[in-house]
Amino acid sequence: MGQSLSEFMAGNLQTFWEMTGFYNATWEHFVMLGVGMFFLYLAIKKNFEPMLLVPIGFGILIGNIPFSAGMEVGIYEEGTVLNILYNGVSAGWYPPLVFLGIGAMTDFTALIANPKLMLVGAAAQFGIFGAYMVALALGFAPDQAGAIAIIGGADGPTAIFVSSKLAPNLMGAIAVSAYSYMALVPVIQPPLMRLFTTKKERLIKMKPARAVSQNEKIIFPIVGLLLTCFVVPTALPLLGMLFFGNLLRECGVTTRLAKTASNALTDIVTILLGMTVGASTQASEFLTIETIGIFFLGFMAFIIASSSGVLFVKLFNLVLPKDKKLNPLIGNAGVSAVPMSARISNNLGLEYDPSNYLLMHAMGPNVAGVIGSATAAGVLLAFLG
Amino acid sequence: MKKKLFLMLVALMAISTAAYAQGRKGLCINEVMVQNDSSVVDDYGLHHGWIELYNSTHAPMEISSVYLTNDSTKPALYPVPLGDVNTEIPALQHVLFWADGEPNKGTFHISFKIKPGETIYVFDADQQTILDQVTIPADLAPNTTFARKVDGKGGMSQDAWEVRDGGEKYITPSSNNIIVDTNTKVESFRTLDGNGFILTIMAMAIVFSALLVLCLCFYAISKVGSIVSLFNKMRSRGVEPKTIADAESLDHDSGEEIAAIVMALHEHLNAHDQENTILTINKVKKAYSPWSSKIYGLREIPRR
Repeated sequence: MGQSLSEFMAGNLQTFWEMTGFYNATWEHFVMLGVGMFFLYLAIKKNFEPMLLVPIGFGILIGNIPFSAGMEVGIYEEGTVLNILYNGVSAGWYPPLVFLGIGAMTDFTALIANPKLMLVGAAAQFGIFGAYMVALALGFAPDQAGAIAIIGGADGPTAIFVSSKLAPNLMGAIAVSAYSYMALVPVIQPPLMRLFTTKKERLIKMKPARAVSQNEKIIFPIVGLLLTCFVVPTALPLLGMLFFGNLLRECGVTTRLAKTASNALTDIVTILLGMTVGASTQASEFLTIETIGIFFLGFMAFIIASSSGVLFVKLFNLVLPKDKKLNPLIGNAGVSAVPMSARISNNLGLEYDPSNYLLMHAMGPNVAGVIGSATAAGVLLAFLG
Repeated sequence: MKKKLFLMLVALMAISTAAYAQGRKGLCINEVMVQNDSSVVDDYGLHHGWIELYNSTHAPMEISSVYLTNDSTKPALYPVPLGDVNTEIPALQHVLFWADGEPNKGTFHISFKIKPGETIYVFDADQQTILDQVTIPADLAPNTTFARKVDGKGGMSQDAWEVRDGGEKYITPSSNNIIVDTNTKVESFRTLDGNGFILTIMAMAIVFSALLVLCLCFYAISKVGSIVSLFNKMRSRGVEPKTIADAESLDHDSGEEIAAIVMALHEHLNAHDQENTILTINKVKKAYSPWSSKIYGLREIPRR
């Protein structure tokens, strides 16, 4: 052999040392670990979207532990555990499962009672396409611009679904940006809502919504699926699962399935989705100038979406009869951050009139926003996919 | 029972029709070379004519037991053998068969040679359904191919085909007839819609139309629903409304009024619903054992 025991031990220890995170670490790894810890701080201490930011934040830590390539642990190495879990993101089947849960959780009553609120949900999608134009102006290619712009839908699963098809290399940054701004909706939206409304408009009291029959609630997901998916079949995975989940909830004979879809299944998928999206943000992919651009565009998209919703309601009021006017404070809820943006409408309404409860009215555009952003995603995929 | 049997039969027919529709309908002949003197060689290093088959569906297709022939009266001239993993063609991909008349050389060497002017057929496993056919021009020169202009498109029409001489029109065995190196959709938006304005207009119009149609549809559904429920309500009260206006005029109930009346009655009568009078006793199974207890090994999840 010709190798002494000490040389043998030293050789093995040297090999082991070269495999450790300390040996392979670069400053980028530490920056990303800092980002992950900041997300955990926001989630645990500040209570910002903890259900999403805890898995994402911890995923960032997992994805940025330094190691030497070929150890079969990395998320991008084929066949590893993380890689198998990541398939749900890269192949795009986690987002439709989340949509199944959202459908099973969502009560569309407010929207069915007042269908014109669907148009508010449609108007807020201008955030997506406004951001698309800004992204093009900043030099992004059309498919990348489309993937980034979808952040304006304020819908994490949709953003992941679209970016996995249009710009897979930007998906990590897009997902983190989308979820970060969703967590910051209570900070971003109120100043815009105040800016674009007068005090008189904020005091508008809307008529209570009519009662909705069970039959209407059952018909809604069926008709909704047929109409929207005939227009944009590319949105079928998202809208199909959304309306399917809602039918499970409303039909009254599949309570057990609806409960599973809205609780256990959603929780499992959220954990895996959040963790793997976080783990996919490896320093080499994430710490780029493009990421800064994506965060800027995401912010722009949220501003445009929230503003266009509010401004559309003001415009809509010009043609509505006096007794059917809408309070523009529900316009921000056209983005699909359910139910947070509806809660913001309600809180702001109560701030100006303690008897003006806008929550149920705002839920209309809010759930319409979910349908609208999925439809907009389908349109982007059809044009640019 | 008969009704159930009928429904099952209908479902079975629907499933089998769907399965048939998803069968090998997308398999087609894509490119053919008859005389090969100096073009591609087979896995034995020899020049032979070849037939390229193309899976035009978006799912993998297993083609074992389909038949290739140049004689429609003998559909089973060359059956693609079972048991070869390579006979599964991935979505939108190709497979090449060497027309050398030597099937003993392997799965992709067929039992007949081809000549200009002949018609080549692909038969399904039933030996009756023609999946695709093409008649090779009688004047097809050596080392040129007869190929579909666009991969998998054009059905059985001869107009969908063209002669390729390997010059400007490439000969493409086991490859796409049209080579695409960029996403044409993205490129067209990049050149014609540099600022994104056109896409924004089109996309917003589509999103608005989709939701507007849904909105109008639900106005209609709610209108019909409310009229039906009003008529039912009136009938249950023994009133026979003659028109919709009559029925609507009779209905003054609002949710708020009903809620107020119910609250007043509740206060007045101190009424309870039946729930309070129902006692349910469930047997509680206690299967406790310190060996399966988690309290010794775990603590409660902290709540904030």
